[in-house]
Amino acid sequence: MGAYVARRLLLAAVAIFGVLVITFFLSHIVPGDPVAAILGPQAPEDVIEELRHRWGLDRPIPEQFLLYLRRLAQGDFGQSLATHRPVLQDLKEFFPATVELATASILVGVAAGLAVGILSAISRGSWLDHLVRFVSLIGLSMPVFWLGLIALLIFYYNLGWLPGPGQIDVYLLRPPWVTGLITVDALIARDFEVFRNALRHLVLPAFVLGSHAMVGIARITRASMLEVLGQEYIKTARAKGLPERIVILRHALKNALLPIITVIGIYYGSLLEGAVLTETVFAWPGLGRYATSAILSQDFAAIMGVTILIALIFSFANLAVDLAYAFLNPKIRYE
Amino acid sequence: MNRSRCMLVVLVTLALLVTGWVPNVNGQVAKTLLVLGRLISDAVSLDPAQAFEFTSVWVDKQVYDTLVDFSKDFSRAVPMLARSWTVSPDGKTYTFRLRSGVKFHSGNPVDAKAVEFSIRRVFRLKLTPSFIVTSFIDKPEDVVAIGRDQVQITFNQPMPETMMASVLANPVTGIVDPALIQKNATPDDPMANKWLSTNDAGSGPFILRSWRRNVRIDLEAFPEYWRGRPKLNRIILLEMPEPTTQLLALQRGDIDAAMSLLPRQYRELAGRKDIIVKSSPTFSLRYLAMNVGYEPFSKVQVRNAVKWAIDYDAIKRIWEDAIDPGQTIVPARMFGHLPERPYRKNVERARSLMREAGYERGFKAELLTVPDPPLPDVAAKIKEDLAAIGIDVEVKQLRSADLLGIYRAQKHQMVIARWGADYPDPDNLAKAFADFDMRQLAYRNQWDHPVKQLVKQAVGELDRKKREELYKRIQKITLEEGPYVVFAYPLRQIALRANVKGLEPSPLYETYDLFEVWKE
Repeated sequence: MGAYVARRLLLAAVAIFGVLVITFFLSHIVPGDPVAAILGPQAPEDVIEELRHRWGLDRPIPEQFLLYLRRLAQGDFGQSLATHRPVLQDLKEFFPATVELATASILVGVAAGLAVGILSAISRGSWLDHLVRFVSLIGLSMPVFWLGLIALLIFYYNLGWLPGPGQIDVYLLRPPWVTGLITVDALIARDFEVFRNALRHLVLPAFVLGSHAMVGIARITRASMLEVLGQEYIKTARAKGLPERIVILRHALKNALLPIITVIGIYYGSLLEGAVLTETVFAWPGLGRYATSAILSQDFAAIMGVTILIALIFSFANLAVDLAYAFLNPKIRYE
Repeated sequence: MNRSRCMLVVLVTLALLVTGWVPNVNGQVAKTLLVLGRLISDAVSLDPAQAFEFTSVWVDKQVYDTLVDFSKDFSRAVPMLARSWTVSPDGKTYTFRLRSGVKFHSGNPVDAKAVEFSIRRVFRLKLTPSFIVTSFIDKPEDVVAIGRDQVQITFNQPMPETMMASVLANPVTGIVDPALIQKNATPDDPMANKWLSTNDAGSGPFILRSWRRNVRIDLEAFPEYWRGRPKLNRIILLEMPEPTTQLLALQRGDIDAAMSLLPRQYRELAGRKDIIVKSSPTFSLRYLAMNVGYEPFSKVQVRNAVKWAIDYDAIKRIWEDAIDPGQTIVPARMFGHLPERPYRKNVERARSLMREAGYERGFKAELLTVPDPPLPDVAAKIKEDLAAIGIDVEVKQLRSADLLGIYRAQKHQMVIARWGADYPDPDNLAKAFADFDMRQLAYRNQWDHPVKQLVKQAVGELDRKKREELYKRIQKITLEEGPYVVFAYPLRQIALRANVKGLEPSPLYETYDLFEVWKE
């Protein structure tokens, strides 16, 4: 097992390096002028040239790449052209908000998706099944941006049940920065008012963002459960007179989990990339908006930083999924 | 009750407790607190020597004082930290006498040395907005403290009063506390630019308390401000990038002002009792530029044919009335504005100009724009209008990084863009649009016209009447021969809760004086 993990980590490093090379050259060969974009249409030419020189953007691209690699090896991700700060500092600041939202969303997605998927599978062909499939089709095709606005309109504006945009109410002070996750930092600081408030602020964006994951997980759960429910050992379990609950949860679900886990891993990975539209609607200071503005203004160092982070997330998500296989199915062993 | 049912009950109870099953009462912001919803993620640095984005300039306007300010109508300079001044007969040297007893937020006194230090610091740092200073003052030594309360500044040309204020009322010349800068300087950063990017060293009506990027900026009243204590205790700028979210928060009363709604949303708010919408034309313009380096546009008749072919009323409708129509390069309300709007859609006239230029069979041209609404619609309308006179326009939507790269390299044929005044004097616009040597818009569009001599002459003209005449001539020539179709001056709009008083949008970027703002 240890050797397997080591080999996978090595492979991940190679993959990340590949991603790095491709992203660097792609982002440098597309036309456009990052300095001009960041300084806007009115900055004088000499200021632009000065900055271009200062950032080393007037050097040949291979030279810029080697320089970048050398800095990266020293743990320096470079400076963002847009924020004029080290990229690592930006990532540290914006990533926790994304982690918090993505985790809440995947929890919502998994809980609701599993429940709906199982219900739909065990009542296959009934009105409930049709309803679930219809709703999930709509859910899958509904733009998350629109869903976010509608959710705000109903639950924040009309009913007033949940707070509006932002991570906490404007009157509350953010607890001291330890992990960057507001809920966790509030618990560390024993500030339960902020904790409660932050959780309430999480509800709407997590449901909106989790809805897509929920639909995906529900569909795969239904399909996977249907396949397992037709197996001989399920008939045996039923014939033995086991309660239906035990048959479904212990015998069927456990065996149906492998493809579901894969989907969950992929969803969580993509949620961790940041969700620019949800972040925009809910004024959520996450990675999605940072990444998007970096791409739009061709902010090289920021693009590279975000890319490395995402590549890392996916490598680890895949590894975690594969290890989960072994845990769930004793027949799978890695050597 | 079995185990799983127990679990369910516990979970549901926990969820209800956590989310607090109490409906939110309609938000109401405290009376001495002003909460503003807007986009703040543009801010890069709050150091006045570096601030060049809307939000950072906005904040610095509240945190830092300048020597002078503009009168409300931007027609003259009014005292701020300088209580009076004298000008040398050649109009180049200004001597300012400072107010006494003014303190920085730190408690240190604001004196002549601090003024000298602050403006010289702009030269040392040489950051983006420094050109506003270095274009008019040659070297740091031209700013000299005389004793404790006088400062002498020598400009590199005669400076009419509004030109002087254009430099010295600009937030880039905000006065910083030298003692704090020295205290926070490092060998790599002797001017403490990094520290000042997120900290306060000012003497303005509000103190910068904190800035969480992409989240919020907190300001607090400075009780010992020389004009008196501000009426508001605290101001919070909240990041709200989505206009609809801003609108909902404003309507619920969770924020006091929404500053970046869509034109349609401002219109929908009209007529409500609890919310008022204020608007002001801005010192900026939306225009179409034609590159004179592209053969067909080298002919003035072709450029004018384009001006006669466009349906200006339709374009105003596309902009949903959020613009103030105008065709000259100096915006309305600015000194020297020429209120002429000769062009309106006249296809016959446009066609005859095309014939005169030898292009009766038309030509192809590429029109660049960014995909920000409603620009693609404006571009589509222009394509339709120009098709009527035989110009086959291909619209290309690009990221601004790409568009600006092409525009600056003079590789475009036509482009839709915007320009905003860096300072409220016609010189700024005349230089950009008509002086080829400035390497701004006239340069990018390769329009090297003798009108540039008038631009150079006008900036130093001390006789106000003559100066105004010069700018009107420059505008007339640019209107009749230049490579620009000026559509309009965009409006700046804000929506406020009705109990917010004294908050007025300004025509000059986003400068709001919050010192006088209060809530009923």
